Amino acid sequence: MAKISFDLVSPENLIFNDEVGMIIVPGKDGDIGVLPGHSKLISSLRSGRVMIYGENKDLLKSFFVSGGFAEVNPEKCIVLGETVEEMNSLDKNLIEKEIQELQNKDTDESKKQILIANAKIEALNASFYEKI
Amino acid sequence: MPSLKDIKTQINSVGSTKKITSAMKMVAASKLRRSQEKAEAARPYSSRLEEMLSSLATSASSGEGIIKLLTGTGEDQNYIVVPVSADRGLCGGFNSSINRETFKLVKKLESENKKVQLLPIGKKSRDFFLRTLKENITDSFVDTNVSSAGYNIALEISAKLQSLYFEGKFDKCILVYNKFKSAISQEVTQQQLIPLDISKNNKEDKSNETENSDKAIYTYEPDEETILQDLLPKNVSIQIFKVLLESDAGEQGARMAAMDNATRNAGEMIDSLTLKYNRTRQAFITKELIEIISGAESI
Repeated sequence: MAKISFDLVSPENLIFNDEVGMIIVPGKDGDIGVLPGHSKLISSLRSGRVMIYGENKDLLKSFFVSGGFAEVNPEKCIVLGETVEEMNSLDKNLIEKEIQELQNKDTDESKKQILIANAKIEALNASFYEKI
Repeated sequence: MPSLKDIKTQINSVGSTKKITSAMKMVAASKLRRSQEKAEAARPYSSRLEEMLSSLATSASSGEGIIKLLTGTGEDQNYIVVPVSADRGLCGGFNSSINRETFKLVKKLESENKKVQLLPIGKKSRDFFLRTLKENITDSFVDTNVSSAGYNIALEISAKLQSLYFEGKFDKCILVYNKFKSAISQEVTQQQLIPLDISKNNKEDKSNETENSDKAIYTYEPDEETILQDLLPKNVSIQIFKVLLESDAGEQGARMAAMDNATRNAGEMIDSLTLKYNRTRQAFITKELIEIISGAESI
């Protein structure tokens, strides 16, 4: 099966760069599955999971991105994430604690962070696409 | 003539200065390496964002409803100048060249009857402009410390700039910063941040077109305008982040060069002082000998 090269970039560094079988990115209007030979596409992303699959549709890695952009052409997919964290490194208890702290503050900034933290919890609970 | 003891103290004090400067040089060198790595790590993101933006900007500049960060307010009256300096001194001409360039720019713009505001980043430029152009300063950012704070500080600065922009406080934003050329040389650079410099992008477009002439049309999701509205503010933050990183690397480079010079100068000074010390000591010995001999002769 053909492969597509995939870059996951955060403002601070290049996080993932390899040839993969398939990627699922959280597009603003819904999740987008990218296979090799995908038509050209630029999309903005919502906060959610970026999932990377190998050639046999086995889940290689999944990351959490809080918004960003994806650019796709038939050979390459680039995801520019605002902040990028590996899903395994997220700890549900810590995030819940963070949400509680943030709820005490009432600024625009903290509201934004609550949205992101909620998206993290949602991503942790979600089990879609784990097996394809 | 100074006594032997005076010279000895002088040698010692220069020696301890030399120790300090050579330690600072070492620290700067290792920090430089880290900052350079950071700057390099950030490069893929900004270059890819620029690519995306240039392909969007060309398709959008012909369309309608483009937002103000790209097109400008249509006026050219109010400027905001953002000098990016270091928080600490002892790095040669690094800070003063930024301040001088900014000062010149402000005076030039004022002579053209433009209103100029300043938003200094870094203690050294803030302090300088507090002394010289206090009434122009709108706000300032100090202790940015980009190498440890990372992207967040760039976000903060960009949020501030954008809120000022959309309140209509300024029409154009110009960054003045030290571009990192190599470990020993920096170049003072002016960059127009808002509105986005299209001419630069057009140049990039041309080079892109030669590379892949079969530029197929992208599908945009949700649509061009929404993406552009997300992309443009992000571009501002990324540009600021890039500038902060470059400036940080430049600062370390400048400090390394300055401290290297200082260490060498201290070495030379110690050499000449040691020579002076030895000569003086010899002179004292000779003087004493002459006194003894002439004393013996007179008996």
